[in-house]
Amino acid sequence: MATVVKSYEPTFRDKLYIPALFQGLMLTFKHMFKKKVTIQYPDEKHVPPEGYRGLHRLNKYPDGRIRCVACEMCAAACPAHCIHIVPEPSPWEEGKERYPVRFDIDLLRCIFCGFCEMACPEKAIELTEIYDFADYSREGLWIDKAGLLEIYELTKTQNYYTVPNDE
Amino acid sequence: MDLIGFIIICIKVVVVFAATMLAVMGMIYAERRISAFIQHRLGPNRVGPKGLFQPLADGLKFLMKEDIIPAAVNKPLYLLAPAMLLIPALMTFAVIPFGSSLTLFGRQISLQVADINIGVLYILALTSVGVYGIVLAGWSSNSKYPLLGGLRSSAQLISYELAMGLAIVAIVLMTGSLRLNDIVTSQQGHLFSWYVFKQPVAFLIFLIAVYAETNRLPFDLAEAEQELVGGYHTEYSSMKFAMFFMAEYANMITAAALTVTLFFGGWDIPFVDEAAMGNWGALLSGIAFILKTAFFLFLYIWVRWTFPRFRYDQLMNLGWKVMLPLALLNIFITGGILTIIS
Amino acid sequence: MPLIKIDDREIEVEKGITVLQAATAEGIEIPYYCYHPALSIVGSCRMCLVEIEGMPKLQVSCNTSIGELPPERKKDGKYDMIVRTQTEIVKRERENVLEFLLLNHPLDCPVCDQAGECFLQDYSYKYGRAHSRFLEEKRVRKNEYLGSNVIINHNRCIMCTRCVRFTREISGTNELFVQARGDNSKISIFEDKSLDNLLAGNVIDICPVGALLSTDYIHKNRFWNLEEKKSICTDCSVGCNILVYSQNNRIFRINARENHSVNGYFICDIGRYGFHRYEDAEKVTSPLIRSDGGFKPISWEGALKEIYEQFSRSKDGEKHQIVGIASPFHTNESLFMFGRLMDNIFKDKSIIGKLPFIEDYEIHFDSGFRISKDRSPNRQGLLDFCLNLEDEILQKVKTGKVRLCYALDDGVDRKLDEEWESFFKSQRFLVVQTYAMTPLAKLAHLILPGPSPMEREGTMTNDQGRIQWLKPSVSLTNKTRPDWEIIMEFMNTVGKRELKYSSVNEVNLEMGERFPSYRGMTFFKIGYQGLPKKNIATSRPSEGGQAGNTVT
Ligand code: SF4
Ligand code: SF4
Ligand code: SF4
Ligand code: SF4
Ligand code: FES
Repeated sequence: MATVVKSYEPTFRDKLYIPALFQGLMLTFKHMFKKKVTIQYPDEKHVPPEGYRGLHRLNKYPDGRIRCVACEMCAAACPAHCIHIVPEPSPWEEGKERYPVRFDIDLLRCIFCGFCEMACPEKAIELTEIYDFADYSREGLWIDKAGLLEIYELTKTQNYYTVPNDE
Repeated sequence: MDLIGFIIICIKVVVVFAATMLAVMGMIYAERRISAFIQHRLGPNRVGPKGLFQPLADGLKFLMKEDIIPAAVNKPLYLLAPAMLLIPALMTFAVIPFGSSLTLFGRQISLQVADINIGVLYILALTSVGVYGIVLAGWSSNSKYPLLGGLRSSAQLISYELAMGLAIVAIVLMTGSLRLNDIVTSQQGHLFSWYVFKQPVAFLIFLIAVYAETNRLPFDLAEAEQELVGGYHTEYSSMKFAMFFMAEYANMITAAALTVTLFFGGWDIPFVDEAAMGNWGALLSGIAFILKTAFFLFLYIWVRWTFPRFRYDQLMNLGWKVMLPLALLNIFITGGILTIIS
Repeated sequence: MPLIKIDDREIEVEKGITVLQAATAEGIEIPYYCYHPALSIVGSCRMCLVEIEGMPKLQVSCNTSIGELPPERKKDGKYDMIVRTQTEIVKRERENVLEFLLLNHPLDCPVCDQAGECFLQDYSYKYGRAHSRFLEEKRVRKNEYLGSNVIINHNRCIMCTRCVRFTREISGTNELFVQARGDNSKISIFEDKSLDNLLAGNVIDICPVGALLSTDYIHKNRFWNLEEKKSICTDCSVGCNILVYSQNNRIFRINARENHSVNGYFICDIGRYGFHRYEDAEKVTSPLIRSDGGFKPISWEGALKEIYEQFSRSKDGEKHQIVGIASPFHTNESLFMFGRLMDNIFKDKSIIGKLPFIEDYEIHFDSGFRISKDRSPNRQGLLDFCLNLEDEILQKVKTGKVRLCYALDDGVDRKLDEEWESFFKSQRFLVVQTYAMTPLAKLAHLILPGPSPMEREGTMTNDQGRIQWLKPSVSLTNKTRPDWEIIMEFMNTVGKRELKYSSVNEVNLEMGERFPSYRGMTFFKIGYQGLPKKNIATSRPSEGGQAGNTVT
């Protein structure tokens, strides 16, 4: 059933418009002196809120071995199809029998949805809070395994998974 | 006219021109900063102290940009259009008195470039010429958005010019002269001798019309970025685009100065007899004029960042159905009262 | 015929088949592991439990056959058996069975090659419980090599014994057995006999989980990345049906495809791992012309111009003899075009021959699986389309004449003996259509790049006369063109024809027009399972086919 919505009937004061115009002007005038929200970027850094999804990293075990087993769950979950993995049997004797020889992420395609870290069964891939990784070339935004591990070294002290990184 | 008189006029021209251009730069800076403040931002604050040199940087950027002339344009008119807009905008300022007269070396120098006795008509004429710049730019670009912008602008300017003219007629009726100096003089004395108090309706109409004349928000339909990609200047780049920009701001400055002259006593300071104070009076009057103008310029910016744009039919309705009859009525009443008094 | 009821469905079935077969045929899903249609039934995994009315306990459906009841004992007055697959108790028992199967299972799907096509995954997801209640230590064993191509991960094995039964019943080689009992049991080989028969790779296919792994494919890719193409094997004249898995034009593995008229459920290891030969070969992807002892790439236009210069300009009244060398590795469509070129365009000037067939020993398994001694896929097609094929071409070519030769290359398997080498060397101009730098190609004056076996499309006729469709599994690269198209261009160039077939299907249709035994053998008709050739004797089609006067 259709509902009849009574529209607002303008009063005589409304119809004069002039007072309303003044009201509007006063409002913007007041705002001129409010606190500014600008962050002066290179001098001041933005601190992302908790749970911010930035640049990826590939985690390592304390002994320095890569956690990733190249299961490609992240690649399968990735809606942007931007993770490219080449798996191979791992060179070490003990531990996981499979590891990635290549692990590339096309950051220009990535939409930073975080599905990859949710899909990962090994807690190997994570999104860090790094957000300022712009570059001048497309190639520069294609991050490879070495790069991802380097990001881990940079952000080692932080743990972005909600479950602590205990192993 | 003697040689010294000629030199003095030349100096005045240069001073006024430089001041206007400086004011344009100031306006650009002010516009960006004030709009930022209204939006809780900081605005340009990196070039020079507090970002004061930002307009210079902008100008430099415009100079260095590639000057693109699209292939399909009508070249002579396309090149002419920016000048057509900028020159009248600057010329208008010539008849506006910006202070009482100065006495130097025994010569009396009025602070006005050209004191002509039909100043009001001159201004109306020149603003009409300015429209051609916009229309030509729109037409010669040979592109749909500029054309629409140009068309809108011409319709808008014609309709609001009428209202503006009629609002001025009321002032002219009261003064009995078309000379701007006379209008200023007739407002001297106490505060309520300003025409804004004697002719509030005319003031309101004039103010609104002047916003439309200068293509400023809420009446900037000729540009209307969101619909027309920039309107008449869509196809312009580099310095030619900058000329449109400068013209817009120069127009605003002239319009603000005109508002002050017609309704706020021009350079007049209430309760002060400037002529009696000699050169100091002239200086004070100049400062008063600048302050008053500055307020109206601020108002321009303030209004722009407060109100949304009119829809086109609303604009036309307001112009023809409200402002024009109101202005006519105002003239009748003014004329009636004047007849009764005399 | 017995009438049974499974859940709500009434089904009339043949006497003697099992409940599982009846249900599967009807599209009712009963999960199972140890049952395999080609193997004997053991009923060891207990996954296929169902409830059967009148039986005190749940029954394994794979091992319960359906019989007929006397009329007075029929259930509900008409059914011979009433089966329920979805009752609470069945569901609970499935959960329990899965829990047992998973007791020692590592659940390392992330590193398991089976993930994505694993029945344990699928059924756990569908029928299992979400959480494990097993708190004890899992039994962990190391991976072992069972044979040179098969690795076993004991932890993942669910003891279905499919692999053991396979080596007993299909390959008949008995390498595998179950060692020890109970919790200690594991699949093993005898010390002196590893799993290295020619069918060994099949155990990897039939293992329902990721316990048996191929050394060739281990940790190479993930199942869901692979594109699956249904094709046929070209490594012997049996023409086994296969599934080719590739990603980005690279083949990762080949599995068997079911076809009861050809190979059943299995393929041999020659075909399974054979595709690496093509990867290793030095590929030819552009027309090449001999210059200064080497080859230099030229354009197709250039190549065809060269062909025109050599083959259709008669020089100084010399008599030409044109030698065509056909190949049993090519599709029927290419051979048909080749025969047409030789018989209809060069006519009497031409003589058509072949290199000696590539043969090896013939292998028969007790189960009936066969590897033919003829290791070329399409000998039958060659004989069908090149009707006046000269067997003794080396003797038949007339000496003293200018000889021009157009050879379809057999590919990477072809070796040349001295006699043939000198034969080819004696040609004045030798055009070789090939995909790799084979010994024959090295002798050529002009090389035309054709597709490799994995890129070819068309029909093949196996040694039983079954026509099957060879589907390309990877796409053509660079300047390579389909074989039939190259021969068509050849015909257009030297014979001034204006043939414009746009796809292999059009060639196939034309071929059917002229060779009645191949009539109507379109892909639409023969599908993925192939059809036997029609038994119509082929007479040599005269110029213009049956009608006799249209000249092509
Ligand atoms: S964040 Fe999302 S888009 Fe980016 S790599 Fe991960 S899954 Fe892909
Ligand atoms: S990052 Fe995680 S999900 Fe991706 S391949 Fe490695 S282990 Fe698998
Ligand atoms: S066998 Fe299946 S369930 Fe077990 S690890 Fe492999 S994929 Fe996972
Ligand atoms: S290895 Fe595979 S096929 Fe063999 S018993 Fe274990 S699970 Fe079954
Ligand atoms: S399939 Fe019936 S017991 Fe295994």
